[in-house]
Amino acid sequence: MSIMEYNGSAVVAMTGKNCVAIASDMRYGIRMQTLAADMRKIFKMHDQLFVGISGLATDMQTVEQKLRFRTKLYELREERNIKPSVFANMVSSMLYERRFGPYFIEPVICGLEDKKDQKNVPFICTTDLIGAQCFTNDFLVAGTTTDQLYGVCEAMYKPDMEPEDLFETISQCLLAAVDRDCLSGWGAIVHVITPDQVITRELKSRQD
Amino acid sequence: YQRRVHGDFTSNTSTNMASRYDSRTTIFSPEGRLYQVEYAMAAISQAGAAVGILAKDGVVLAAEKRITSKLLDQRKSTEKMYKIDDHISCAVAGITSDANILINHARLEAQRYFYAYKEPIPAEQLLMRICDLKQGYTQFGGLRPFGVSFLFAGWDEHYGFQLYHSDPSGNYGGWKAKAIGANNQSANSLLKDNYDEDSSMSLDDALLLGLKVLSKSMDTTAPTPDKLEFATVTRVAGRVIYHVLTKEELESLIKKGESMLKEEAAKESGGDI
Repeated sequence: MSIMEYNGSAVVAMTGKNCVAIASDMRYGIRMQTLAADMRKIFKMHDQLFVGISGLATDMQTVEQKLRFRTKLYELREERNIKPSVFANMVSSMLYERRFGPYFIEPVICGLEDKKDQKNVPFICTTDLIGAQCFTNDFLVAGTTTDQLYGVCEAMYKPDMEPEDLFETISQCLLAAVDRDCLSGWGAIVHVITPDQVITRELKSRQD
Repeated sequence: YQRRVHGDFTSNTSTNMASRYDSRTTIFSPEGRLYQVEYAMAAISQAGAAVGILAKDGVVLAAEKRITSKLLDQRKSTEKMYKIDDHISCAVAGITSDANILINHARLEAQRYFYAYKEPIPAEQLLMRICDLKQGYTQFGGLRPFGVSFLFAGWDEHYGFQLYHSDPSGNYGGWKAKAIGANNQSANSLLKDNYDEDSSMSLDDALLLGLKVLSKSMDTTAPTPDKLEFATVTRVAGRVIYHVLTKEELESLIKKGESMLKEEAAKESGGDI
């Protein structure tokens, strides 16, 4: 069994109209045994930047702590919040620093940032375990459930959705996909990020 | 060590020629003094003043900005106050470039502690790490000490609000009110007279006291917002907030201070009659 499948996870991010959403399952398991259904895999860096991390649970925790360390120092020195695109570059270079002994994780970065002429532009990005970045405009997936998530997202996604619509779509995609993967599920959490607020909802899902 | 410097030092510089024991940090003089450390403290007493006051619901840091030119184009929000972590901030007096090194080190130490223990670093712990670094520069390496004094203001769950002062020797102390930099002797005696220990000062009282003390110790007479920096460390809804006073808040504070002074003067003259 691959080390990336030791714990199991499902993370998905989607863009909407001036909003983004990121969702994950809540299973903490070791191989086939489930140990907890309340594990957070999505972490808030600041009000307009979230990062979801899939893969080996211990590396997920360590990478989150290391990212918090670096983000905090950035904020103290520059006296402003780090932009999601800059954060994504930081994640990428941090992972590549460990090129020959990597963290076994796949992060999904999700946020809103101001560009030159537009405000609150959605931004999503994922990297592989050694920092190769992938940028898209629609949706990104990570974890053990990627095959299933690609399928449902491709079918159900449409561009420029409003926050409520986006929430429905990403929730249904996640719940449908994790039902076809024994290593993820056991609860789900969705964060919808808009310019004014972040709405976090926990979904009622099959507990298996 | 502090007592020595603040008491005897000013008379020493005017008559003292370069002593044989002052060119290296790592040797004592026959009287048991470290001249390089004392010279570092002299550098600080030329710098812009900074005052820290502990109130029962927060800490006030106030500093005098030495504006050297109207052509200056400062982008950073403050010149003398820095945030070290969410719950600890500091005011600086002395050589700014030396201060930047130590502040960066303080920030790293605070994050390293949080990374290791998932708990914010207690204020005194942070101070100890910085002071141990400063002490190293007085004992080995042959490098000069840092020409900076700090006033650290912070909150932690163990001891609540705290104010600390650290100097180039690496010594530190906890204070209820402290002034550093130019004219600190008169500022400190003013603080001693005016600091209200018994009924424990509120944040507003502390702000006014800080303004009073700074105004008296500054070279110019009338305080204006562009010459001052004020910051408060308080707790709101369980979170520690570091807030630098805006120009408007400073203006209203200065007005309040002026009207209080007028009241006091009126009372005194009324009492005489």
